[in-house]
Amino acid sequence: MKVLTKAATAGALLALMAGTSVLAQETIKIGVLVPTTGSEATYGQDMANAVTIAQAEINKAGGVLGKQLSMVVGDDACDPQQSVNAATKLVSQGVVAVVGGYCSGATLPTLKIFGDAKIPFVITAANSTKLIPANPGNAFMINSTGDDQATKAVEFLGAKGIKSIAIVNEGDAYSQDLATLTQKSWEAAGNKVVDFETVNKGEQDYSAIVTAIKAANPDAVFWTAYYADGGLLIRQLRQSGYQGVIAVGDGSNSTKLFDIAGKAAEGVFAFSNPTAEFLPAAKDFTATYNSQFGTAPGPYAPLTYDGMELIADTMAKAKSTDGAALITALKATDSPGWLAGAIKFTDKNTLARSNFIVLVGKDGAWARADQ
Amino acid sequence: MSVFDIISHQLVNGLVLGSFYALVALGYTMIFGVIKLLNFAHGDLYMVGGFLGFLSLSAVASVVGSDWPGIFIAMFLSMIAVGCIGVVIERVAYHPMLAAPRLSILITALAVSLVLQNTVLSLTGGQYTAFKTDLGFGGINLGSLFISYNQMVLVATSGVLMIALHLFVTRTQFGRAMRAVSIDMDMSQLLGINVPVIIAVTFFIGSALAAAAGTMAGAYYGSIWYFMGFLIGLKAFTAAVIGGIGSIPGAMLGGLILGLLEAFGTQIPFIGSEWKDVFSFAVLILVLVLKPTGLLGKSEQERM
Repeated sequence: MKVLTKAATAGALLALMAGTSVLAQETIKIGVLVPTTGSEATYGQDMANAVTIAQAEINKAGGVLGKQLSMVVGDDACDPQQSVNAATKLVSQGVVAVVGGYCSGATLPTLKIFGDAKIPFVITAANSTKLIPANPGNAFMINSTGDDQATKAVEFLGAKGIKSIAIVNEGDAYSQDLATLTQKSWEAAGNKVVDFETVNKGEQDYSAIVTAIKAANPDAVFWTAYYADGGLLIRQLRQSGYQGVIAVGDGSNSTKLFDIAGKAAEGVFAFSNPTAEFLPAAKDFTATYNSQFGTAPGPYAPLTYDGMELIADTMAKAKSTDGAALITALKATDSPGWLAGAIKFTDKNTLARSNFIVLVGKDGAWARADQ
Repeated sequence: MSVFDIISHQLVNGLVLGSFYALVALGYTMIFGVIKLLNFAHGDLYMVGGFLGFLSLSAVASVVGSDWPGIFIAMFLSMIAVGCIGVVIERVAYHPMLAAPRLSILITALAVSLVLQNTVLSLTGGQYTAFKTDLGFGGINLGSLFISYNQMVLVATSGVLMIALHLFVTRTQFGRAMRAVSIDMDMSQLLGINVPVIIAVTFFIGSALAAAAGTMAGAYYGSIWYFMGFLIGLKAFTAAVIGGIGSIPGAMLGGLILGLLEAFGTQIPFIGSEWKDVFSFAVLILVLVLKPTGLLGKSEQERM
């Protein structure tokens, strides 16, 4: 049965992509730019699935401006060249707005294409800070960026009454970036970074670093890299008797952390982008997703669902499908109640308030810590 | 923490790390001693040892539990198995190459390393495997210095293995033959020493020591994966060179020195821990400049 539904959906998508649908003139076309092939296809498909659910719900409730919505999927394959082709094709097919964007590298060159065509683009996963200056004004990022994670970390740890932290990264672009951003904003908040360490990836023994951290005696340790080595570090910190707070970045919020760190991961805080299982508002969405696609929604499904809903909502508010009108209306968005929380934009079209959530290790699994 | 506390803590950290390096370095040095081969697959035998130790522990845990007794049994089984793997590798990959130029056999060693890594990669899907044990967090406090029981058992076990090896090499017939082969393989053969058997025994012992280190590391750190042998292989090789490659006491000394250098390297004032490897390798270069044969290496002839 599920296979049938999938096949039917795929068939419908193909028909729409080819533009042969007889209904084509009467629907409002929304472009979906995601990788549906290549290494990141799982995530792209997950995002397309989320749009499918949103579209069906909107249409069932009567559509927008008296018309039904249809979706046109453009496959960027997480490749900058292919994404340009896919974006150009979406423009020529007459989409009024675009939702999606998973790989930052592939999303970057499409900003100008949609910008020139005055088509609003709601980016729901790609979150490199490089996208911000490249935005010609038509793109809206509803996933928090690296800056936001650092801000969230500083805010959360600060609220816990922590004054001094040790930051440990792994020397790669991602973890070092997060570490330096956090260091900057933590010190800007008037607090102290008492120890800043870089470890080698794959080194099993972190005891020397642990001793250095203990000697600096921070209130909290923030690990900005991935779960595998993070698990080892956490385990060795706790084994050595470190009692302070331990927090990890979104590269370490995998449940595998509990396999590696064992009991030591209890009480560890992790930052995460808003995933469905931790969003109370996404309960119905999760159930629908599960029954329709036979699997749990992936990490960017709720945000992508929000993106599609945001577009529909804005069209209804602006009473128009004109690109310029939609962009103006999107800029003015200020509303709570989306799956992942409130949406309000800064003057750079990024989220005014990060939607990162905080998780805590509890009985060998993650639970929400900030609610 | 006072400066004295930090020093004593790092001393313990360095000893634990150094024991692992020394056990792996011994295999490097023994194999280099007998057939003049830098066995770059040696770090991967450590990794395979970790996985076989994990499998053995899963098999025996229901009977003996998964605290140290169980781990020792698993370690023993893993040592036997990996020792045999080492012998097979030597027979299949290195033995036919013994007459070939050293560079060819070195490349063969790299190929063996890739085969071992990729076999485990395909069997585990590249995922980290949690090495679950019942090891406690207990230990003793000496003033403000905390030494866990696990650390003590680790260092003691490595010590026992190294003493046993030393006695084997210096006090037994096999050991004497091994030393003879390392000095002059052809002459040993003429004098009636069964050289292929001696080489096989050397590979067995070297690989078994790597497996012991791999199993203990898995149990102590709590996770294993297919790439865990790479970095320690490089470090152990460095340790063997510092101590003087081909010299057994040198490998032990080199391992401990490297472990201590790394521990104290994180503690150098004003520069970050990312410089600790630079520090260790600077010392390596210094040793090689001042004493090109390594600390305990001899310039020629007797190597073991």
